[in-house]
Amino acid sequence: MTNPIAGWSHANQEHAKQIMARYPDVRSAVMPLLYIASLEHGHVTDDGMRQIAELTGLTPAQVRSVASFYTMYKRDGVGRYLVSVCTSISCFLRGADDVLTAVEEATGTVDGETSDDGMFTVEHVECIGACGGAPALQVNYEFVEGVTPDKAVALCRWLADGRPEVVRSDEMQALFGGRPSFERGPADPEGAIAAVPAFGPYGSAATGPERGTR
Amino acid sequence: MTDRILTVRMEAHPEDSHTLATYEATGGYQALRKALTSMTPDDVKAEVKASNIRGRGGAGFPTGVKWGFLPDDLRPRYLVVNGDESEPGTFKDRILLERDPHQLVEGIIISSYGLDVHHAFVYIRGEYPKPARRVQHAIDEAYAAGYLGSDILGSGFSLDITVHLGGGAYICGEETALLNSLEGRRGEPRIKPPFPAVAGLYAKPTIVNNVETISNVPWIVANGGSAYAAIGPERSAGTRMFSLSGHVNRPGDYEIVMGMTWRDLIYGIGGGIPGDRALKTWIPGGASAPWFVPDEHLDTPVTIDDVGANGSMLGSGAVIVMDETTDVVAAAHRIVKFFAHESCGQCTPCREGTTWLERVLWRILNGAGRPSDLDLLLDICDNISPGLRWPPAMTTICPLGPSAVSPITSIMRHFRDEVEAKIRTSEGASVG
Amino acid sequence: MADPSEKVTITLDGRQVEVPAGELLIKAAEEAGTYIPHFCWHPRMKPVGMCRMCLVEVETPRGKMLTTSCTMPVADGMVVETESAVVKKAHEGVLEFLLINHPLDCPVCDKGGECPLQDQTLGYGPGESRFVEEKRHHEKPISISDLVYLDRERCILCARCTRFSEEISGDPLIEFVERGNHVEVNTFPDEPFASYFSGNTVQICPVGALTAKPYRFRARPWDLEAVESVSLVDSVHSKVSVESSQNEIVRISGVDNDPTNQGWLSDKDRFIYEHVHSSERLTTPLVRDRDGFREASWGEAIGLVAERLGATPGAAVAGIGGARATNEDAYAFSKFMRSIVVTPHVDAQLDDGLDPEFAAAVHPRARIDDLEQAATILLWGPDLKEEFPVLYLRVRRAAAHLGATLVVVHPRITGLDPVATHTVRYRPGEGPAILKKLAAGEGDLADVRAALGQGPVVALVGRPGLGEDPRLAEAVAAFARDLPDATIMPLVRRGNVFGALDMGLAPTLLPGRVSITDTAARNALEDEWGALPDGVGSATTGILSGLVSGEQEALVLFGADPVRDHPNPTLARSGLEAAEFVVAFDLFLTDSSRLADVVLPVAAFGETAGTVTNLEGRVQKVNQIVPPPGRSRAAWSILDDIATAMGGSLGATSAERLNKEIARVAPVYRGVTWDMLDWGEGREGIVVPLPGVDQPLRHIPVDTGVATVTERPAVHTARVLYDDGAMLRHCPGLAGLAPPAAIHMHPRDAAVLAVRDGDRVVVSADASVELPVVIDTGLAEGVVYIPFNLVETAPLGAPRSIRIDAVREDAS
Ligand SMILES: Cc1cc2nc3c(=O)[nH]c(=O)nc-3n(C[C@H](O)[C@H](O)[C@H](O)COP(=O)(O)O)c2cc1C
Ligand code: SF4
Ligand code: FES
Repeated sequence: MTNPIAGWSHANQEHAKQIMARYPDVRSAVMPLLYIASLEHGHVTDDGMRQIAELTGLTPAQVRSVASFYTMYKRDGVGRYLVSVCTSISCFLRGADDVLTAVEEATGTVDGETSDDGMFTVEHVECIGACGGAPALQVNYEFVEGVTPDKAVALCRWLADGRPEVVRSDEMQALFGGRPSFERGPADPEGAIAAVPAFGPYGSAATGPERGTR
Repeated sequence: MTDRILTVRMEAHPEDSHTLATYEATGGYQALRKALTSMTPDDVKAEVKASNIRGRGGAGFPTGVKWGFLPDDLRPRYLVVNGDESEPGTFKDRILLERDPHQLVEGIIISSYGLDVHHAFVYIRGEYPKPARRVQHAIDEAYAAGYLGSDILGSGFSLDITVHLGGGAYICGEETALLNSLEGRRGEPRIKPPFPAVAGLYAKPTIVNNVETISNVPWIVANGGSAYAAIGPERSAGTRMFSLSGHVNRPGDYEIVMGMTWRDLIYGIGGGIPGDRALKTWIPGGASAPWFVPDEHLDTPVTIDDVGANGSMLGSGAVIVMDETTDVVAAAHRIVKFFAHESCGQCTPCREGTTWLERVLWRILNGAGRPSDLDLLLDICDNISPGLRWPPAMTTICPLGPSAVSPITSIMRHFRDEVEAKIRTSEGASVG
Repeated sequence: MADPSEKVTITLDGRQVEVPAGELLIKAAEEAGTYIPHFCWHPRMKPVGMCRMCLVEVETPRGKMLTTSCTMPVADGMVVETESAVVKKAHEGVLEFLLINHPLDCPVCDKGGECPLQDQTLGYGPGESRFVEEKRHHEKPISISDLVYLDRERCILCARCTRFSEEISGDPLIEFVERGNHVEVNTFPDEPFASYFSGNTVQICPVGALTAKPYRFRARPWDLEAVESVSLVDSVHSKVSVESSQNEIVRISGVDNDPTNQGWLSDKDRFIYEHVHSSERLTTPLVRDRDGFREASWGEAIGLVAERLGATPGAAVAGIGGARATNEDAYAFSKFMRSIVVTPHVDAQLDDGLDPEFAAAVHPRARIDDLEQAATILLWGPDLKEEFPVLYLRVRRAAAHLGATLVVVHPRITGLDPVATHTVRYRPGEGPAILKKLAAGEGDLADVRAALGQGPVVALVGRPGLGEDPRLAEAVAAFARDLPDATIMPLVRRGNVFGALDMGLAPTLLPGRVSITDTAARNALEDEWGALPDGVGSATTGILSGLVSGEQEALVLFGADPVRDHPNPTLARSGLEAAEFVVAFDLFLTDSSRLADVVLPVAAFGETAGTVTNLEGRVQKVNQIVPPPGRSRAAWSILDDIATAMGGSLGATSAERLNKEIARVAPVYRGVTWDMLDWGEGREGIVVPLPGVDQPLRHIPVDTGVATVTERPAVHTARVLYDDGAMLRHCPGLAGLAPPAAIHMHPRDAAVLAVRDGDRVVVSADASVELPVVIDTGLAEGVVYIPFNLVETAPLGAPRSIRIDAVREDAS
């Protein structure tokens, strides 16, 4: 049989195998695999879904049915930085709509779209669990809490100018954040290398300032 | 009397409360040792039952009772920890996951021992990568230290824990939707019965508990269930995490003993309203809960039963405060929009009804309201949650659809004149 | 599941009723005469409780509770209200919610007039819509397969189609996508809804969201006439409703019955009717002269046939066919050949089936419904998905949902492998050795043998491929017979082949499951028919060889196309060419009837009434709904005219009269009349013999000792659902669905030949054809697979051994 994920990086292939082995039923691996496929292709592509279907014994239609249920599996191209501005009730009460507008202006794109230069995708999202630090946003799912429209603009500029390979919550929080939901303890060395949650087993976390582990 | 259980360590060791070293240095894994060396699984269950702890995920179901629903004769069984935390206003599991992950891991191991579970899962919402990393690191450390894997501490008991990240869907907090999601399916709630305790993950008996619920287990086992039961009011035993947000001076997570009044919570702990503005309304238990108003509820005690008796719920422990400047129609719209966005789409009333409600509210907000909209809103609500009662009756499979009704009945009940005024203005607008 | 005979009492709208314990409330209520409106619930699928239309109030200790009756099993003492004010309000609410996004295009919707949403809106809905916002918009119907359109705006998201595909047919190609108010049903981009069963989703869609291309805009429901009938696509005989408009069949739907199809059909069953109205149908007799065929009158054609057959010695005339006809036609043919022509050479099979005695009279014989109780199912025969698609659904259900252990023995991956507990792959020819090993439970087959020890066992046996020795099936049956509580189902595919065998259309059989050697029965038949020919006749291969050698002179083809269907098409063609006279009864000019001297146009499905018999021995009725085109006629009446012209008589004045004669003359058919099948206990068919009637021939399978043949490569040739058969070719909807012709090879065998996927090879047996190679990991090593009877593979037939030569491009 041909290897359905032959195109994937060695590290991601290894992760995929480990993940599939971890569940009593291989179908459970669909969601983690969708993250890996997103890393490989930049977003969830038809090919990616076909590959996952083959790995898990599902039809591509079944994989797409699952993928499309969740908001974090992006099926259109995503910019280098996915800026997700929370506009749910607690952030709304604290001025989230203005933050969203500021981010749209600073990135030159609008809610749900990707900037022409491919740098930013902007989206409004429902509650991200940072209500104590409202208004809050995430860059590639790394939190920044207690932002203001001005700080959000500065954050976007910083991203556009510095183009960090890895985004880290602590760094952004220190530079552009305000009051967080809670004291966050020691700095976290890990950060995200793409618009995929930076969770080690799914292969998207990176440590230190060097390039990502892909 | 103890007034903190879950947050003591992170308070005392802000720099490294999440590490195994600090955890062990502050008494960590002693409860596990105790359970494995001197208690039978039944003893563990008995302590949890005696603690009277009620689930912290929202429904407040007594944990010991739930554990008792597992059929005796079916194996394997699974324990699934619900860390999907997505109810607007809620961020208390996030701090527990991030800052004291070993407490949760120890809770999982002890609970699994009590429940004869050998594979446990922690389902963490996808937007929480850092908490997930912390839990994963804690699990890795626990494996290395012999607290996980096979023959834990020489007891013969074995356990594996798998962390599963969500994909962005609030409904996966509903336990059966969570199980579907964990099985690699769409996160659609299942018809109950069967309840997960009988047929859950992979159709096997499964206990689903909230992160906070399980994080309490080490303390309960270390100190005894009756010690836990002695904390706080009788049917609201133990401490409880509250997430305070909105228009308060000191938003944040607070672990408190239940029984204080809402006034104590909002003005005392929360530090009052910014700019000394007046309190207009608050939501006592997450976006799904009906709203409270100062005239009626400020001196109501913060207990599961008192809040219930007043037609709302403590739910997920999220307290969202709104001051006098708040446009309640806009606030209600925001919450309804959330539920419309998060409906899984199975049930006709939820899929169609929440969206319809959202669109009517949007019309009203944008100057196109009509007098008939008042009745229309309530009637749509009635078709989702017949009788508009509390706890809600449902024409749906799960309570998400009826949750979208709460903000509307709340503003209609407490702020009807404001809604009417908005409609009048829009009429004026459309005529002129 | 609770014991279905156990009853509980519930209070339904104040009325006490007894209902089966554990049954779903919605079903129990309906059986008790109270209809509860619903959309998503379907009695043949697991409940999902999604549409919320079936809400009722049930009393609980905590007061009355709204609950979906489709998900709630009844319990003793349950108090249920289906019409309370709360329930009515809920129904109105759900309907209003469903309608806010539903287009109001009923006048142009195929479903308009038979739409549950329309009906329930009248019955339970609110007056007018309060929805002033814009409706959800989607591109109007999109094509999701060659047969089906999807209109997402009309879809009410009941998930019947998606559930059918996953749960019942096992090919989940159509799924929900997105979430909440954006949910829609769809296929994966570029992966059409290419299921053999897609038409069922059209049938069970409660609105006009899924429509069938062949039916689209063909008729309005209120113009339709309908009759019940059975599908003759294969020998399962699924129950169908045939609907016509203006003398044309426009739709076939599955009818729910427990014994056969449980309401489902394959797309072939559903859309095959298109051939009936093909412009290529024969409408007048044809007679060959020097320049080819010319049209002739019935008088001339019948005169010619009578003259030529009359002038040939009886034993030099042979008859092939009858397996596509009704029992009445087959009986008339049998009687005509044996008593008018007086020849023993008749055969309804084309040596692509099984031993006739075994097929017709195997004992103990299984019923399809036995699968519901089977602990273990042994399938050693054709790939059911390709050859018996509805039986595939029944076996799949047993294995996937009823807990049966399924053992599949086949040279290649089959449609049932995904739900099989054990699969055994082997090389054609080596079946006897594998059987021996299995029976002994040796080596890797020990588990399989152990699994077969759990009864009741249902053994489905037939020829996995056309190159396989038919005696293997009997050996398998002989082994299976001794398994606990075993019953055996012989798998022979062609339409009414079991009916034809029961009418005596086999060299070794007389009508009514009688062996030709049964003297008493033979004498009884002679009293009716007159003297019978002596001796045992030849089967099809013998007949064809006889024609080549000159021993046989004339041939009657009774709806048979041996050039396409016989495993050796070269022999078939030579036989027909060598014959001095060939008369063909047919619908179309086929590769065989083209070689005839006289071609007689016969009535097709839906154009005649009669009885048919399926693989269980179940007799059912097919009915007429449209007239035959032109001058075509029922085959029995043509035979009657020829008999008369030959100076004899069949006494066949009507099909019903023939049926009465069968009921009198053919032992196991004793007492089975049309009346009974139309109105009486026989609505679900009658498995013959009726109680109290003896079956003269009870065939106990024996191991006939067929030898193992080791051939490399072993050739597996098998039918696919959509081939290049005469009827399919004339169905516009299905004709394009045949898979591309190819030779499938195991990767290691391909490596030995140094060919890759897509390379071309020349395959030679009696004929040579060039085919592309498909690398197929689903094959046992050392086996090649060639689909039978596709345009390109037809000349090969089903050879036992072949040569393969790679076609090398000149590397200049
Ligand atoms: C719409 C909905 C969302 C829910 N979200 C969560 C959640 O995010 N976290 C959680 O622990 N429980 C959530 N629940 C409750 C769970 O279904 C379940 O009751 C809980 O996880 C059980 O744990 P406990 O007994 O420890 O509270 C939700 C319930 C509903 C109906
Ligand atoms: S109420 Fe809403 S979220 Fe819950 S199952 Fe029904 S459609 Fe899904
Ligand atoms: S028929 Fe019961 S919910 Fe649809």
